[in-house]
Amino acid sequence: MSWITVVWSISVGVCLTLAAFYCAVWYKQRENWVHLLFSCSAFAAAAVAGFELAMMHAQTVGQYEALVRWIHLPTWVLTVSFVAFVRLYLRAGRRWLAWSIYGLRTSVLIVNFISPVSVNFRTITDIHHFSWGGEILSVPVGLPNPWGLISSFSLLLLLIFSVDATITVWRRGDRRRALLVGGSMIFGAILAWHVPLVIWGVIEIPFFLGFTYAAIVAAMGYELSNDMARAAHLAHELELSDERLNLAADSADLGLWEWDLSKDEIWVTPKHRVQLGFPVSGRITFEDLISRWHADDRDKVRQVLRNAIENGKDYDAEFRRVLADGSVRWIAARGRVFADKQGKPRRLLGISMDITARKEAELQAARQRHDLAHLARVNALGELSSSLAHELTHPITAILSNAQAAQRFLDADDVDLNEVREILNDIVTEDQRAGEVIHRLRRLLRKGEPQKHSDDIDLNEVIRDVLRLMRSDLINQNVTVDTDFAQNLPPVPGDRIQLQQVLLNLLLNACEALADCEPSERRLLIACKSETSTVQVSVTDRGRGIPGGKPEQVFARFFTTKKEGMGLGLSICRTIINAHQGEIWATNNSDHGATFHFTLPIVTSDALSGASSKVLDGSALTATDASAPRVAAPSLLLGPCPTGSGAEELGVSASERLARKEAVITD
Amino acid sequence: MFVVDDDAAVRKAVLRLLRSAGIAAAGSSSPSEFLAQYDPNTPGCLVLDLEMPGFNGLQLQTALAEKGSSLPIIFLTGHGDVSKSVQAMKGGAFDFLTKPVNAKNLLPAIRAAIERDAVARVEQAKFSEIHARLDTLTPREREVLQHVVAGKMNKQIADDLGITQATVKMHRGRVMSKMKLQSVAELACWTERSGIRGTNSQDQ
Repeated sequence: MSWITVVWSISVGVCLTLAAFYCAVWYKQRENWVHLLFSCSAFAAAAVAGFELAMMHAQTVGQYEALVRWIHLPTWVLTVSFVAFVRLYLRAGRRWLAWSIYGLRTSVLIVNFISPVSVNFRTITDIHHFSWGGEILSVPVGLPNPWGLISSFSLLLLLIFSVDATITVWRRGDRRRALLVGGSMIFGAILAWHVPLVIWGVIEIPFFLGFTYAAIVAAMGYELSNDMARAAHLAHELELSDERLNLAADSADLGLWEWDLSKDEIWVTPKHRVQLGFPVSGRITFEDLISRWHADDRDKVRQVLRNAIENGKDYDAEFRRVLADGSVRWIAARGRVFADKQGKPRRLLGISMDITARKEAELQAARQRHDLAHLARVNALGELSSSLAHELTHPITAILSNAQAAQRFLDADDVDLNEVREILNDIVTEDQRAGEVIHRLRRLLRKGEPQKHSDDIDLNEVIRDVLRLMRSDLINQNVTVDTDFAQNLPPVPGDRIQLQQVLLNLLLNACEALADCEPSERRLLIACKSETSTVQVSVTDRGRGIPGGKPEQVFARFFTTKKEGMGLGLSICRTIINAHQGEIWATNNSDHGATFHFTLPIVTSDALSGASSKVLDGSALTATDASAPRVAAPSLLLGPCPTGSGAEELGVSASERLARKEAVITD
Repeated sequence: MFVVDDDAAVRKAVLRLLRSAGIAAAGSSSPSEFLAQYDPNTPGCLVLDLEMPGFNGLQLQTALAEKGSSLPIIFLTGHGDVSKSVQAMKGGAFDFLTKPVNAKNLLPAIRAAIERDAVARVEQAKFSEIHARLDTLTPREREVLQHVVAGKMNKQIADDLGITQATVKMHRGRVMSKMKLQSVAELACWTERSGIRGTNSQDQ
C-alpha cells in the first residue's frame, strides 16, 4: 500500500469522525444549525476523498464513468454546506453570490445526470495508467464536456464569495477566523482549479479535491472546537458568577426566583429553597410556591402576578410567607415579566426580600402614632370635660323632672294616662339623647386598633358631630360658630375618629385664640367645599392670629403657645391628614385671626389605599398597576346648623357667605 | 310663673313638673324672647337657666333689675360654677339650684318664691296706697305729720310751728283721716317706710 492510499484513507477517516462528532453535537443542541452544516460538509468531504481514491484505482472505463458521475453528489453537498456555513457561522459573504453558487451547483448536478457520462466528460475512451508517488494511478482519457464550463464558473464564484467573505470578516477585526476559515476556503477554491486542467489534459495528476476539502474541514473544525472550548469556559464562568450571586443573595437575605411560564417550573436560589422547605432538587410549580404564602395573602399576590403577566409590567408586592418551621415572615417582592419576540410572556424573574424587621418597626411606629393620637384626643376631650358633663346634664335633668312629674300625676285621683304616656315617651327620647352623647364620647375616647380600611366619610357630618360635642363649651365661651357647608359634598375615604380629632383640635385652638376677644367678636367660620379632586375644610377665627407670622411653625412638634399645652395637637393633625393623603396648612387673615385649612382627596387610588393603610396600620399590599377609582356615594343633604342661629342671626344668605369666604375675608 | 331654658326638652319637663304641682307656668327659649313678652304686673317667679348662648341668665337678671322688677329668680345651672353663683346671689337671686334638679328642692323653692312675691306685691300695693294718701296732704299738714311721728306733744308742735294748739289738733285730725289710719303708731310705721322722717326740735 502506497502513502497515497494511506493519506487519503486517513483523510476520509478524520472527516468521517468529525462528521459523526458534530452530528452528535447538533443532535443535542438542535437550534445550532452550524454544527449540522459542518457535519454535512465533513461527511461530503469524506465521500469526495473516498470517490477520488476509488477513481485513482479504477481499472475499467465503466468503473471510472460511474465514479466521475456520482462524485458530483457529495461535491454539491460540500459546496452548498460550505457557503451556508460561511453565511451562518462567519455571518459574511454576499447573499446573491451565495444563491448564485447554490443555483449553479444545482445546474451542474442536473447537467451531470443528463449528460451521457458526466458534466466533465462527454465520453471516456480509455484509462491511462501512470506511476505517481510510487504507485500506479489511473487518469481518464476522453472528450471533455463543454458544459463543464458551468462547473468551472461556479468554482470561480466560490472563489469570489470566499475572498469577499474573508475581507468582511478581516475588516470586522476577527482576523484569526478570516485567516483560518476564509484563507483555507480561498486556498481550496484555488487548488480546485486542478480539476479542469486534468480534465482538459493539460496536466497529468490524480484528482486531490477531497484532500483539499479535508483541509478546509479541518480549519472549520478547529474553529468550532475553539467555540466549544469557549463555551466550556463560559460555563465555568457562569458557575462562578452563580456562586457569587448566591453568596450576595444569601448575605443580603434575598431570594431570587424565576418562573418558566410555559413549563410552569420555578427555580429558586438554593438557600431560599431550603428556607421554604423544598427538597434540594426536584421540580417546583407555581402552586407549590404559593402554598408557602400566608393563606390570607395568596389571592392578592396571585392577582398582582396575574396583572403583571397580562400587562407585561413590573410588579411590586408585600405579603406574608410561612416558613418550613411555621414562622411567618413579611416579604417584599419585586419582579419583571420577560416576553419572547412575539410578545408572549415567557419568564417571570423576581426577587424577594425579608422585610419582617422593617415591617415590625413600621407596625410599632404606627401603634405608637395611634397611641399618641389617642392620648392627644383624650387630652383634647379633657379640655372639654366640664362642658361634656353639661351636655349630659340636659337630658338627665329632663328625665328627672319628667319622672317626678309622672309620679305626681299618678298620685292624683284622676290619672291622665295620655299625659303619663307622653312623659314616658319623652323620657325614652331623652335617654337616647344621653346615650348618643356617651356613645360619641366613647368612640373618641376608645383606643381601639388601628383601622385597616378607609370608610367613606361625609365631612359635613364629621363637622356637625364635633360641633355637637363642643356645643356647651362654645356656649360657655360665648363663641358663635357660622357654618358654610357645600351641598352634595362627595365623600372622602378616611378614618372618622381621626378626622373628628383633627376638627376638634382646630376648633379648640380657634376658641383659645378667641379667648381675649370681646364676646361680640368671638366668631368662628367653618367652611367645607369640594374642589376638582379634593374636599377642603377651613376653620377661620377672628383671634390674634399666628404669632411671628410663621404659620408653618405651628405644625412643628412641641410648638405651643399655651401654658399647659404639649405642642402635639397640630403635629398630630398633620400626621393624620398626611396619612389620608391630604394637606394641612395655616394662614393669617389679612385683618384679624388665622385660618386653618385642610384638603382630603376625593378619589382613592391604589397608591392612596396602600399609603394610608401603611400609616394607619403598617400593613399593606400594593401593586404598581391596576387602579380602581371609587364611585362617590351621594352625600347626605344638609340639615340645620347645629349651633343654630349664627348665620341666621346675621341675616346673611349662604351665597353671600360663600362669596366672602372665597375672598378669605370672613365674618 | 316663667321658665327660661334654651333646651326644649328641659323646659318642657320642668313646665310639666310645675303643672303636676298645680303651678301654671309659661316657657321661653331665650332671655330675649322672655323680655319681649314679660309683663311686670304678672305675679310669680322665674326659673332661669344660667348658661345660654348669646344673652345669658345673668344678663337677664341685670336687665330685669334695671327695669325695677322684683320678680324672684331661681337659677338653674349645670356647672355649679362658684363665681357665677356668687354673682347671681349678689344680683338678688332667690335661689341657686344645680341640674339635674330634684322636685323636692325645686318645688319648695318655687313655692317660697311665689309666696315672697305675693307678700311683696301686697306690701307694694299698700305702700303705693300710702304714697298716694301722703300726696293728698297740704304742706302744713305734712309738717305737722313729721312732728307727730317724731313723738311730740301738741303743745311742743304748736310752739315749734308758732301756731295754736287748737290748729295743731285740727291739722292732726285731718292727717289721720286723709291717711285713713287709726293710731299714731301705724302712722309712724308707714311714714317711715315711705322715707318720711320725723322732725325733732333739736333738728331745727
